[in-house]
Amino acid sequence: MANIEIDAPETNQLLLGNEAIARGALEAGIGFATAYPGTPSSEIMGSLAPIAKKMGIYAEWSVNEMVAFEAAAGASLANIRAISSMKGNGVNVISDFLINLQMTGIGKGLVLVVCDDPGGMASSNEQDTRPIAKWLNIPLLEPSTAQECKDMTKWAFDLSEELGMVCMVRSVIFLSHTRGNVRLDKLPKKKKEAYFADIYDVDNPRQSKFTCGMQFHPYKQSEELLKKFAKASAKCESSPFNWYAGPDKTELLIITSGICWTYSTEAVKILNLQDKVGVLKLGVTWPLPEEFVKKHLVKSQKILFVEEIAPFVERSVMELVANLPPESIRPALHGKRSGDVRAWGEQSLDLVIQSIASVMGIAYNSRQSRSIEYSQKVREISEILPHRTLTFCPGCPHRASFWAIKNALQLDGRNGFVTGDIGCTAMGMISPGSFQVRTYYAMGGGVGIAGGFGHLGQFGFTQPVIAVSGDSTFFHASIPGLINGIWNQSNFILAILDNDATAMTGFQPHPGTGVKATGESGEKISIEALCRSLGVSVEVCDPFNIKMTTATLLSLMAGAGGTKGVVLMQRECELVRAHKDRKKPYQMYIDPNRCIGEACGCNRLCTRIFSCPGLVWDREAAKARIDDAVCAGCGLCADICTQEAIIREEV
Amino acid sequence: MEGKTSKELLKDVIETGLCVLCGGCCDCCPYLVFHNGRIVRLHQCTLSEGECYQYCPRTYTDLDAISRQVFGVPYDDSEIGIVKEILLARSLDEEIQEKGQDGGTVTTLLSVAIAEGIIDGVVETKMDDDKTPRGFIARNREELLACTGVSYEPSPALEALNHLSKESTERLGIVGLPCHIACVSKMKTYPPKNRVNIDNVKLVIGLFCGWTLAHGFHQFLQDRFDLSQAIKFDIPHHPGHTFDVYTKSDKRSIELDEIKQYINKACSYCLDMTAEFADISVGSGRAMFSGWNTVIVRTKAGAELMDIVKAKHAIETRAIPVESIENLRDAALNKKKKSLNNIIAKTGDTEDLLYLGLSRNLADKLLGKKN
Amino acid sequence: MSIKDLTKDPLNLIIAGVGGQGNVSMSFLIGKALVKKGYFVTVFDNYGASQRLGAVASHIKISKEASNNSPLLHEGDADIIVGLEPVELLRNLSRFGNPDVMTITNSRPVYPIGVISGEVEYPDLNRALETIGMLSAKSWVIHATEEALKLGDPIFANVILLGALLGSCTLPLDKNSVEEVLKEQLPKAFKMNMVALSKGLELVGQ
Repeated sequence: MANIEIDAPETNQLLLGNEAIARGALEAGIGFATAYPGTPSSEIMGSLAPIAKKMGIYAEWSVNEMVAFEAAAGASLANIRAISSMKGNGVNVISDFLINLQMTGIGKGLVLVVCDDPGGMASSNEQDTRPIAKWLNIPLLEPSTAQECKDMTKWAFDLSEELGMVCMVRSVIFLSHTRGNVRLDKLPKKKKEAYFADIYDVDNPRQSKFTCGMQFHPYKQSEELLKKFAKASAKCESSPFNWYAGPDKTELLIITSGICWTYSTEAVKILNLQDKVGVLKLGVTWPLPEEFVKKHLVKSQKILFVEEIAPFVERSVMELVANLPPESIRPALHGKRSGDVRAWGEQSLDLVIQSIASVMGIAYNSRQSRSIEYSQKVREISEILPHRTLTFCPGCPHRASFWAIKNALQLDGRNGFVTGDIGCTAMGMISPGSFQVRTYYAMGGGVGIAGGFGHLGQFGFTQPVIAVSGDSTFFHASIPGLINGIWNQSNFILAILDNDATAMTGFQPHPGTGVKATGESGEKISIEALCRSLGVSVEVCDPFNIKMTTATLLSLMAGAGGTKGVVLMQRECELVRAHKDRKKPYQMYIDPNRCIGEACGCNRLCTRIFSCPGLVWDREAAKARIDDAVCAGCGLCADICTQEAIIREEV
Repeated sequence: MEGKTSKELLKDVIETGLCVLCGGCCDCCPYLVFHNGRIVRLHQCTLSEGECYQYCPRTYTDLDAISRQVFGVPYDDSEIGIVKEILLARSLDEEIQEKGQDGGTVTTLLSVAIAEGIIDGVVETKMDDDKTPRGFIARNREELLACTGVSYEPSPALEALNHLSKESTERLGIVGLPCHIACVSKMKTYPPKNRVNIDNVKLVIGLFCGWTLAHGFHQFLQDRFDLSQAIKFDIPHHPGHTFDVYTKSDKRSIELDEIKQYINKACSYCLDMTAEFADISVGSGRAMFSGWNTVIVRTKAGAELMDIVKAKHAIETRAIPVESIENLRDAALNKKKKSLNNIIAKTGDTEDLLYLGLSRNLADKLLGKKN
Repeated sequence: MSIKDLTKDPLNLIIAGVGGQGNVSMSFLIGKALVKKGYFVTVFDNYGASQRLGAVASHIKISKEASNNSPLLHEGDADIIVGLEPVELLRNLSRFGNPDVMTITNSRPVYPIGVISGEVEYPDLNRALETIGMLSAKSWVIHATEEALKLGDPIFANVILLGALLGSCTLPLDKNSVEEVLKEQLPKAFKMNMVALSKGLELVGQ
């Protein structure tokens, strides 16, 4: 929403953490940006892409993080500053390329931005990606505010270039999705020229900068990397993003980084402990600025580590403390290992207040808990508040797809099941998808694991297996799994739920949609044609035609040996359609005379099991009802009701 | 009637091997359907009482109550049920003769019933192109003719009854095996609230039945024959020992011994060979009267129809020899005894007769009866 | 309607609603208007997996100086809560409410999928609104959705509530400061949004 390309240095703007990161990259003079959609990182490319052309930058939503990062590396090697942003899981995917790149070096500044999701609010897992920095020797920067998101990203490019290494900026969802005041700096106007200098030199054929070649062994690269990293240590020691605030001698020293610094600082204020507790902020958490930390360690006998999720800084400081000269005072270390700070899930202001209060042995009463009466009333109320669970949007084709899949598996009767994948299709795990998805891991995981199940016939395995993948997921990761299954003749069906969108993360384009990051159109890559070219049978269905889709699945399941086939369930995402068409296809209503509701013969099939938010169970009338404010008018529910009580009228 | 639903239906009937695949539960709600020779439960039902369970012929069936409802008298130890009249009959209609099984009597009775305006439609069984039997409503002669012939596989005929709109006032006939008739009779005795009005059912015709062939029999046939070419199936009575498949040009036979493995195990718990609760029950004329039907008229409604059909010269009739009746009683009694013993063997308890609401007294009487 | 200065620093505001109601837009408008006036704000939109009909809450902290506030409020620390939906307002009251809190709530429920399917009950609306009143030092109930429907689209409810918020005289913002931001951010619907804003002000007697 914010205007990150505005040329207004010294002004204050309200920017999202992610927008500030993008702005920092602009101020650093990048020429190249790549990403794959992934909450909570998507707004970085989301704000760069629309202005990329205007700013003379190449920006791309790549098919997956691996190729995104590789492409950015290419730009860096050819003298163009490049940024690649992704959610934590993306780093898992790029790690092989990343270590090789780190060992052989980069060209111009290359910054990897990683956005973690502590608590896993929008992820299949929760992971703290920071330890990879230690593992692969990557300088790691953790901004704490929107301002720092900009400033530290900008600095990361300089640092990266000086060291000849990839640098990593790590954010978390609570920082990426927080808007804060950001004071802007200048936007560079320098012209960029790309050239890859390390070509074959006839006079010096053995010379190479970026390869191991026959000359070097990786262990030599390792040695080089460690030397580079020692240089990094020196540079990071004096970073202006590390600082201390508090008294000279304290009862408690908090060592913290990232957004947790804001929790710590605010908690200390709320607890009124400003003269007893000091806060040591680390902006660079790897390499650990050892001298800086050592200097402040002596301020206190008690240290509390506030970070999320893993005890990353905690362990690094523990190593430091272990190496202190024997006569040194060893402070008591409190953190995740001691149980003073929760070792899983996201941190919050409440939790940090509790941790500090507990370590300091004091009690804290909030404005709410101070009033017993208020607390009591509030406790009563919270017990009766219904939760809001995830669901498919009204009109979503996946609701229909999983309905057909469920019917087919039940009719087949051999205890078949669905292996799931990432994206909106993941909601096949819960009620809106009839609980059909039974395994759920990572991008492409569905078809991969199905390939394994499909080879267990020799052990008496007869259960039909349906792997489900979205369209963006298909391009991202499912293709190798499908090829592997076809080639090795594994027994499974791949159902591609193609809604022509990368919906879960906010409708970013992918090769099947025909539009690129910058809004330009491109030649669509046909999933159907691609699958057919692999020699597997491909059936195309409209999931809203439940009868046909169910019958197709059933007949594929009944077939003999080999990969049973691909079923392409194609129907546009409802949100995309609604945005384009701006009107409902049908006006829906319930005929109360036909609706038998809870009675035997129905038992509220539409509201209890089909479960679309537009279909409401009216307890008083004991009938189903359409909520016009929510109903998308897709018409599907009319086909579900066996009493023909749901009427659809063309608008 | 205890409060039970589809969950218990699965547990008590389907998973215990009692299900006769009559279709009485199929499509009575969106949760139970017939597919590929099985009853499939698609979704979870959370009700505490369900009509699927209530009318299933293999959940508790109070034979006395049903008998009183249909005939006004308690259930007794008669081998072949209440008999107003028993005779032999066959159709005089050439087209029906050609297409019908044995004497074509059932098709004729129904054809006249529709023509005379006694009923508007019949819940029938019609075979698909691949000869899978499914429920079907026939509303005229042509549609009735499309339903002729026995498939010997269980038919979920009553699913067609469940497809009718509850508001329907169509007067109905029903043709089925003893298990279909038992289900319909339960509905007559305890009228359902959530289905088409059972009072619409004006005529019930039952077919004699020993057993059906299920659980893979259809696949067995499909592997050996091009079923799209088959026009008729027949198992000629004793001393017959084959299952015959007729095409336009020829007839092929399979030894009964080869297909005995496909006999629906659920049939071994059935005591009713002659569809005892129907208005009219019809079977083959057996070896002695090949090409004829044995007909038992049981109720006033049945007798009235027979009179009309005779008056219209749609059928010809003849007296059935005492010997034939004795043979029929014999066969029917054997089925009752065998099945009772199978039930007791299954439960391991002479007091537990599974779904049968039959007094201990009567059960003993039947078991002790001399052939 | 604008207060001269913050009654406390930071001043903590929560906007709570359901995905699709324009909760995030509203918090952005408020944040931007405040930044223009020289305040330092943090605005955190808590929306979990990006999807329709999920609970959304925006935490806004307003300070006179750069104080690097954390994005989240802590228990009992809300000064103002605006609810685009009654249950969401109650939910946030139960965590962040205190005896001094001021609340403004839209009266129209949006049913969670569990209620729609009949698994759980939505609390009695009158009781819910009464409870909100009991748990607030000062409270308004606004029929924002009904008024928005009169204007042609339920989405206007959030701007109506924004008007009500301005009219409550708890923020250092007035109609003009918001007008500027509305024009910049939502130029196409500017006229209608101004009507909605005025309506909100009117409904709280301004």
